[in-house]
Amino acid sequence: MTQFGPAIRERRERLRRDDRRYSVRQVATRIGIEPAYLSKIERGEVAPPSEATTVRLAKELDQDPDVLLAMAGKVSGDLQEIIRKRPKLFAELIRQLKEAPDHAVLRVVREVRDGDW
Amino acid sequence: MIVLEHDRLEFRFPEIHREASCSIEFQRTLRIPDDGREYPLPPGLGRFPLRHLDDHAEHLSAAWQRRGGVIGPMHQAEALWINFDSSYPFAVKVATGKVCAITGNAWTDHLNRDPQDYAALPEQPWLDGYCVEKGLVRQFVAMPLGAGYTVEEQLYGAAEHGGLQIVAYPMKRERYEALAARHASIAELAETYAMPQSPGMGLAPGGRMKQDIYADPHDFDAWDQRRCSRCFVTLVNSLQWLAITGEHPPTRPPSARTYAETGLPWFDHYAGDAEAVAGADRFKGVASVVQLAKQQGEAPLPENQSAEIASIVVVGQDGTRLVRESWGA
Repeated sequence: MTQFGPAIRERRERLRRDDRRYSVRQVATRIGIEPAYLSKIERGEVAPPSEATTVRLAKELDQDPDVLLAMAGKVSGDLQEIIRKRPKLFAELIRQLKEAPDHAVLRVVREVRDGDW
Repeated sequence: MIVLEHDRLEFRFPEIHREASCSIEFQRTLRIPDDGREYPLPPGLGRFPLRHLDDHAEHLSAAWQRRGGVIGPMHQAEALWINFDSSYPFAVKVATGKVCAITGNAWTDHLNRDPQDYAALPEQPWLDGYCVEKGLVRQFVAMPLGAGYTVEEQLYGAAEHGGLQIVAYPMKRERYEALAARHASIAELAETYAMPQSPGMGLAPGGRMKQDIYADPHDFDAWDQRRCSRCFVTLVNSLQWLAITGEHPPTRPPSARTYAETGLPWFDHYAGDAEAVAGADRFKGVASVVQLAKQQGEAPLPENQSAEIASIVVVGQDGTRLVRESWGA
């Protein structure tokens, strides 16, 4: 069983402590799935949902979609597309950075350039 | 450093503290009526798209390329508000056309305390417009640069910059750690415009709404003015955006009256007994878009009918999430 379901449940229950709109029924309705299906997802009885549903769930629970997709064993379609366009370059980059600490990875993130104004 | 993630500007200072980051985004919203009434805060309808300006340099003039930063689209007479999200304390200056939105003063590359020319985060969750009076702002409304409506043209007589300018200063590490130690938890801190040489969009004052700009609760020397990150946000109209990026801009938001008639909520922010700064004297001589249009015999604002507000959600009480979203968000 993946950690996806329990993590979703824990997050939703935490939000529900302050706001009753985070019941299984209401969250499921807002993201467009059946409450029974969300309940099964949370209990790990079914595989994590589709990418689109996972992204909606992430938004609803104020979580990072990429993190939730990774927990579901997936990589978002837009990232796959980026790699497919320049596979050699990005495969090499990711392999080189796989053991790097977070602060080192952040340094290679593209910065917004400040100019002359 | 600033990175662009999911149409948000993420300001990060890992060299100061691993928690020293804040995100800033520009929310689409409805334009409140410019009818002399005071309105509550309108909803967020989703983020404006933002792109690295460098990615579209071949379509842009040399002057725009020199700015760097990001580029985003706004329809004429469309409104925006700025959403701040940070648990680490930051001082953030916001200018339009290089005119400070809080003081009306010309841009400076440092913070000023008297009068305070920055928003103190995390106390300030949003900024919706120009601070014209204590507890009252005039909404940020996009107008074509060169038509005379923008604040920079009204105050300084030149349509030179347009867009938005933002700079963020983090709190010094030692001050943050001392502050954190005093609290049990950090959480408690709690047209054929395809030619790039056309002037782009600037921001002008729209209708009036209730919003406090909170006075900085920290000592002025808490801010690390040796380290800051700044960004020029170039604003273009929808046709320019399509020509530059090949993408369609978001649709126009509903009118304030249409939104109000649905009964969907407007917003207010609860901040206990936090003090607000005074309005800027400089803005006293600035006319709103409707006022100026009447003087000039023009009608630049469609759908300016007054709206009756049925529902106001007060955000920030009892630790509720600071969410200002409604339909389409």
